[in-house]
Amino acid sequence: MSHRSELGKAPLAWRASAYVIMVVFAVLTVFPLVWLGYSSLKPNAEIVKHPLALPQAPSFGNYAEAWAKGGLEPALRNSLLYTAVATISTLFLALAAAFGLAKFPFKSAKFFRGAFTLGLMLTVHAVIIPLFLLEVRLGLINTRLGVILPYIAFDLPMSVLIAFSFVRGIPDAILESAEIDGAKYRRIFWGLIVPLSTPVIATMAILSFLRHWNEFLFVFIFTTKLALKSLPVAITQFAGRNNIDYGLQYASLVIGILPMILFYVLFHSQLRKGFGEGALKE
Amino acid sequence: MVNERNKKRSYLSFVLPAFVIYMGIMVFPVGFSLALSFTKWKGYGPMEFVGFQNYVRMFSDPVFLIGLRNNILIVLVSVFGQIPLGLLLAYMLHRKMVRGARQFEFLIFLPITISSVIVAQLWNRVFSPVGILPAIVRQLTGNSEYIMTIFESEAYAFVPIMFVLLWQHTSLYMVIFLANLQRVPDSVIEAAQMEGASEGAIFLRIIAPILAPVAFINSILAISGSFKSFDLIYSMTGGGPAHYTEVMAVYMYNTTFVYQNYGYGSAISVVIILFIVAAIALTKAMTKKFNLD
Repeated sequence: MSHRSELGKAPLAWRASAYVIMVVFAVLTVFPLVWLGYSSLKPNAEIVKHPLALPQAPSFGNYAEAWAKGGLEPALRNSLLYTAVATISTLFLALAAAFGLAKFPFKSAKFFRGAFTLGLMLTVHAVIIPLFLLEVRLGLINTRLGVILPYIAFDLPMSVLIAFSFVRGIPDAILESAEIDGAKYRRIFWGLIVPLSTPVIATMAILSFLRHWNEFLFVFIFTTKLALKSLPVAITQFAGRNNIDYGLQYASLVIGILPMILFYVLFHSQLRKGFGEGALKE
Repeated sequence: MVNERNKKRSYLSFVLPAFVIYMGIMVFPVGFSLALSFTKWKGYGPMEFVGFQNYVRMFSDPVFLIGLRNNILIVLVSVFGQIPLGLLLAYMLHRKMVRGARQFEFLIFLPITISSVIVAQLWNRVFSPVGILPAIVRQLTGNSEYIMTIFESEAYAFVPIMFVLLWQHTSLYMVIFLANLQRVPDSVIEAAQMEGASEGAIFLRIIAPILAPVAFINSILAISGSFKSFDLIYSMTGGGPAHYTEVMAVYMYNTTFVYQNYGYGSAISVVIILFIVAAIALTKAMTKKFNLD
């Protein structure tokens, strides 16, 4: 913007402090990650002897070993499954509910919307104990469904409200003409609402994906078998204090972090928009 | 008429699936949690009704009180650390005080996608005897035996956790403030500059008041988030050593799922919720007063 150039520059003292603060923050963010990255290419003995030095003979040996010993391959598959199923289900359930609540003239819509809003206040802690007992009773403990169902439920209030405020903005006229043509509501939903909602679907999907991928407590409590753990849980348990080989710990942590950095780079602008406009972080 | 009934049926078929899953998994169990908090129960066998005993016990339970203290420390570091620092960073970026503002913003916001439990493990490695921090201290001081002992200190064990929380969440508030700053027209700052206002005055007297409502909403989020803290601390220290870094949610987890004390654990979870609701109500009341004054 040419307008901005008319603004006077900030005084030198401010600019100097800004550089100091920015550089400190950036170094504190980047350096631990870079250090972890190159250290993961060193054998344990070298890490202990020279913690800061670059690897003498970089090797991916730690990765192969951590991948196999930590059970990270099934964990990655579980993470993909949990996240994909939960994210896609939440999206369509929320969008359908939002369509119902925003575009049908029934009084109960207000009640339903109020109930979903209340859900924003409810936290995992409020229900984790009874939910655990319920899942034990229903035989859902140690099943993938037992993880995915709470993922969907806890994501719904936020997703329904985001979708609602978007769907409400879709002009009624578009829907009315379809209604007059005799289109079934289901076809209006799939043929009009879903395609028109692509912008909000993208934001919802990215935030929903992030919440599910990084979720810890449900997987940790509702599954006891290693074969059902998600990637962050498996890595945390593998890298936990019981494991004395630093090289393996570092490699497993990089396996957890690298995909998320990639995710960040790919969706940076959507993440910035989604979080910046006040979406909640769990 | 038939059409109307059809319409209602379609409406319910859209709304009910989400509503039923949400009610069944999130709302229905809440009542059960409250009921459990008045009992003594090991998760099996007979359930004993004990009235308010679990709640009374909590406030003379030293471990719970350490947890409560640490939760309050997290609230303080959020409201007086992350949020003001996030605001300052956002203002500096918005005013383009550094070259490459976009690149700095990109780097600083990066922790947002990394899971808390892995952030915890990363910083444990940084602080460990073979980590970055002790290695740097050793080179600077020449003391080749140096290791960090802050974790064994009853008074300061929680400090590194507060630092990591600052590291992890400040950039979230930075991004929220930046998004809101972009809605403030440049002419506002321009006018102040013409009147000879200093940079500090523009920041404190003009920009901060404009963003005050955003800061209040952020505070509500931060406070309720603070009382919920679990992942990072559980992964970093598990509440130890000797409960020095205990927080309410970790204590609730251990009480219930490790020591099988379902009644007491439920009571702690109810108290966590009460703290969250009270903090939100208090923040809302303060916002109202603030606006009236």
